[in-house]
Amino acid sequence: MSNSVTNSNDYLQYLLKSWSAKSASELTGLNQLRASAIDSVGTQKLPNKHDEEWRFTDISPLTRLTYPPSQQQSRLQFSDIDKFCLQNTTNRLVFVDNHYSPDLSNVADSQIQILGNLHSLMSSHASTIESHLGHYAKFDHDIFTALNTAFLHDSALIIVPAKTCITEPIHLLFIASQQEVSSYPRSLVVSGPDSKVTLIEDYVSINQSSYITNTVTEIRLAAHAQVEHIRVQRDSKQAHHLANCAVSLADSSQYQSICVSLGARISRYNLEVQLTGENSNCTIDGLTLISGQQLSDTHTSIDHVKPNCTSRQQHKCIVDGTAHAVFNGKIKVRPQAQQTNSSQSSRNLLLSNTAKVDTKPQLEIFADDVKCAHGATVGQLDSEEIFYLESRGLSKTTARNLLTYAFAADVINRIPVASLKQQLEQIVLNQTQGI
Amino acid sequence: MIDKNSTTLLSIKNLHASINTTEILNGINLTVKSGEIHAIMGLNGSGKSTLAKVLAGHSAYEVTAGTIEFEGKDLLALPPEERARAGLFLGFQYPIEIPGVANTQFLRLAYNTIQAQRGKDELDPLEFDDFVREKMKLLDMKPDFLDRSVNEGFSGGEKKRNEILQMALLEPKLSILDETDSGLDIDALKIVANGVNQIAHKDNAIILVTHYQRLLDHIVPDFVHVMQAGRIVMTGDKKLAMELETRGYDWINADQRLATGVNA
Amino acid sequence: MSAVLQSLVNQPYKHGFVTDIESDVAPKGLNEDTIRLISAKKNEPEWLLSFRLDAYRKWVTMSEPDWQNVHYSKIDYQDISYYSAPKPKNKLASMDEVDPELLRTFEKLGVPMHERAALAGVAVDVIFDSVSVATTYKQKLAEVGIIFCSISEAVHNHPELVKKYLGSVVPVGDNFFAALNSAVFTDGSFCFIPKGVKCPMDLSTYFRINTEGSGQFERTLVIAEEGASVSYLEGCTAPQFDTNQLHAAVVELIALDNANIKYSTVQNWYAGDENGIGGIYNFVTKRGLAKGVNSRISWTQIETGAAITWKYPSCILRGDNSVGEFYSVAVTNNFQQADTGTKMIHIGKNTRSTIISKGISAGHSNSSYRGLVRITPTADGARNYSQCDSMLIGDQCGAHTFPYIQVQNNTAKVEHEASTSKIGEDQLFYLSQRGIGAEEAVSMIINGFCKEVFQQLPMEFAVEATKLLSFKLEGSVG
Repeated sequence: MSNSVTNSNDYLQYLLKSWSAKSASELTGLNQLRASAIDSVGTQKLPNKHDEEWRFTDISPLTRLTYPPSQQQSRLQFSDIDKFCLQNTTNRLVFVDNHYSPDLSNVADSQIQILGNLHSLMSSHASTIESHLGHYAKFDHDIFTALNTAFLHDSALIIVPAKTCITEPIHLLFIASQQEVSSYPRSLVVSGPDSKVTLIEDYVSINQSSYITNTVTEIRLAAHAQVEHIRVQRDSKQAHHLANCAVSLADSSQYQSICVSLGARISRYNLEVQLTGENSNCTIDGLTLISGQQLSDTHTSIDHVKPNCTSRQQHKCIVDGTAHAVFNGKIKVRPQAQQTNSSQSSRNLLLSNTAKVDTKPQLEIFADDVKCAHGATVGQLDSEEIFYLESRGLSKTTARNLLTYAFAADVINRIPVASLKQQLEQIVLNQTQGI
Repeated sequence: MIDKNSTTLLSIKNLHASINTTEILNGINLTVKSGEIHAIMGLNGSGKSTLAKVLAGHSAYEVTAGTIEFEGKDLLALPPEERARAGLFLGFQYPIEIPGVANTQFLRLAYNTIQAQRGKDELDPLEFDDFVREKMKLLDMKPDFLDRSVNEGFSGGEKKRNEILQMALLEPKLSILDETDSGLDIDALKIVANGVNQIAHKDNAIILVTHYQRLLDHIVPDFVHVMQAGRIVMTGDKKLAMELETRGYDWINADQRLATGVNA
Repeated sequence: MSAVLQSLVNQPYKHGFVTDIESDVAPKGLNEDTIRLISAKKNEPEWLLSFRLDAYRKWVTMSEPDWQNVHYSKIDYQDISYYSAPKPKNKLASMDEVDPELLRTFEKLGVPMHERAALAGVAVDVIFDSVSVATTYKQKLAEVGIIFCSISEAVHNHPELVKKYLGSVVPVGDNFFAALNSAVFTDGSFCFIPKGVKCPMDLSTYFRINTEGSGQFERTLVIAEEGASVSYLEGCTAPQFDTNQLHAAVVELIALDNANIKYSTVQNWYAGDENGIGGIYNFVTKRGLAKGVNSRISWTQIETGAAITWKYPSCILRGDNSVGEFYSVAVTNNFQQADTGTKMIHIGKNTRSTIISKGISAGHSNSSYRGLVRITPTADGARNYSQCDSMLIGDQCGAHTFPYIQVQNNTAKVEHEASTSKIGEDQLFYLSQRGIGAEEAVSMIINGFCKEVFQQLPMEFAVEATKLLSFKLEGSVG
């Protein structure tokens, strides 16, 4: 372990120094972006619990984890990662400790899509990359986005040309194999007009070690584009996972997100969706399933900028042990966004008497002709439902397990990729049966 | 019932109306006399419901040409509430829900407003309660319905009955019932039709706007008009409705020569 | 139709006149000497002066909160006069000796100061600028052991009670405005309902700010002993000035075992003009401690006035089976800003709370609901239900909902629902098709929207609130 630093400024300085030591020459086209991100890091501080956006999530332990950026040293074989791969997904980009691994990756048909490591596609697609990268995930007010941008190196790039429908899901597999390192995965998805793509963003670890993952994902949907985005965070239970995802929707586009959060000691996921085109719509489902001493924080913001858009959101948390789940969901309707139709629900299940949940669904409405509603519930399993199952001969434990599983399955069942759905069902089943 | 000596209630001449610059009514001519029951039939989108709303004065529609006279007065010059007070009633296709406003409070306010207009006595809450309960029997309605909020959580059938109850209370001269039969099962349809038949008499008139024949089995019209693309393309008696039921609306298109357009 | 709506919301403020009365006003500015001056003018005991100085010393170290969703230019706390009182000609022996100018003022405001002319059985304590000028029905209440008087009087006549409870629910350093109030409060109402007594009439306080440039810092303390119950009403108005005036009150309620306190407010401070000039800054801390088992505290508020409202009447549910309630209607128009809601802190077992909040925004105004429901680890079987609905009139206003739900007990059940809607053109058309005029239709829809809250108000207030609301929104709907 590196020398320990105690305050936030020292910590950021330390991180920056570790960056300067790295060669930056490979990404000439992006040096400008990285340089301004570095400047921005210099002007920001790590948030603490006095910041409204971080009041329930204490990330001060981070300053004691001065993990250097991960170096390329992977000797992983396909057999090591086989268990993470999905059947019927021939499109797979694999990053090990955020270093692109062409040997483990597989790209089915490069004729219909542009898919690969941003680093190697930079020369051929510079203008697309430059006009999108860093345009949605802004770093001025987010230290973690700034750090990620400063450390920009290998990144997943998906460009779906206009009128192209990619039938095979694309699996972005981010594997952590080293301990006590920081890695900065980055993804950019640009889907053209009338295109369609399904994307699986998957964070896994080889062993249960401690490391920091700080990821940024940007997704742009052109008019009439459709993107299904499934995000699975199954990091090591010792890891720290910090993530930002920014999505921008043009006219009549559709974004569907399903986010499953299972791993990490402390995790934070910020999802910002901007409906910047008329008649666009988004559906966001989330499931947080945590136990032990885990803390999982999900912050979402759905920003209705233009009229006639719809959004629907459901977030579910199942919390056991002394774990702590946080949900903060903001729906903003700007003055010109008339005819917005938006609904949001936060449902939380506490399984132990030491588990804790903080939920804060928010509406900020500036247009009058809108329909917006949100709801939140926190509670235990319904005793009437348990009784009903018992009266049909099930034991109390079985009844509870069944209902807990059903609570989670509601989200899992929405996943359109059968192989992934089965994997997650098994994980959820194992976890809910252990209760 | 048709009576040569009865007075003209409604006279529509060359009515054109549009919504957001799209023309929906395209030259309607129609005369309704007291004592008459008219049915206006047509496919969805033919303009039947628009005609109903234009008559009631809905602000979303703009009248671009033509005239409407109600008892010889210019109806188009009046705001919606004045039309209602003059005796024109619209039974809505989709009665709106008004949370928190008790049905009885709403009914009494509407009733007393129109009574006052007619120079008649207003009723206090107790008198009104007796009066409205009597009328509710006509439609086989449960008393608890008075305490519920206006149309909130009502079934489709309850909403439609509530419309006819208002018609019974307000005693309009001309009632336009927009798709009153939609969403009603056969028993509810009979109750509603029976209610309408009891309200109808020689001094008032009814326009039934409907897609199907089924309501007309129970309320027999004197005239049946068929609308298409914003105009009345055919007029006949109750047999025309049956003809439409068996042969479908396409039959009209197949035989446009019959479309003389204007009624008697 | 919007024109009718518009003309419906914009009615002039009826209480904007100034009473010409000679007042004793302290020089502007705040320091320890100001506090000593206030304390000396009120001939206070030493312990109260130290209470004030303690609060002041805390206040100078604190900064104004900035998390709320309201925007205003900085308040200059040295440009406010912290004491203003109408000069009494001499000590009053009875209500008949009250300055006739004051009597006329309150008559004009519809507040009965003559017991014979009073609303059927409501006792009133009247606060004019900084001091209590009259309390009605004192004698009658004393017969059943109820103490109802100004807090200054209570300090002298019942020091043991005041000393015991003052600051026990809202500590002097609780927040910036509460600390300021604790340092400089000048008067307010005191009410003590002894064990087993059900207060035979509604008690009420009427607040009036009159002097330009003065702040109003009143302090209210209501104590209901075991098995006691009381319904308390509060009303407020102020004249129209182009400057903003600060109102920073503190209200503390204490309910012991099986006691029941119902506190209702109709707040109609001057809200500023249609351009947002002038109006009261209303920064209020209200908190009730449901200390005993089975106790109940219920807040009902109709907030229609003030340029800025910052107010979160709260309940600390400490006693097992205690109940907290919050019913609120907040109406904002023109450039008003309201950030209001509640906190329900569940500590005792089987505690229950209900929150019903209705926000109506018109003009350029912004209305926010901000509420906290916290279930602590000890609150087994706690229940909360919250419902927050907003209605927007026009497209220049905003409605915001910020509920904070914190649960640390898995036997708790918390439910929150919120919705935003507008007065539907279709609703208005439906009512007008039945002959009902636009104004009446709008007032019907709004009263329907607020019904669950109005039902909580005592009868006289309910009528008043309904009138106030339709009056307030006249001109904004159509």
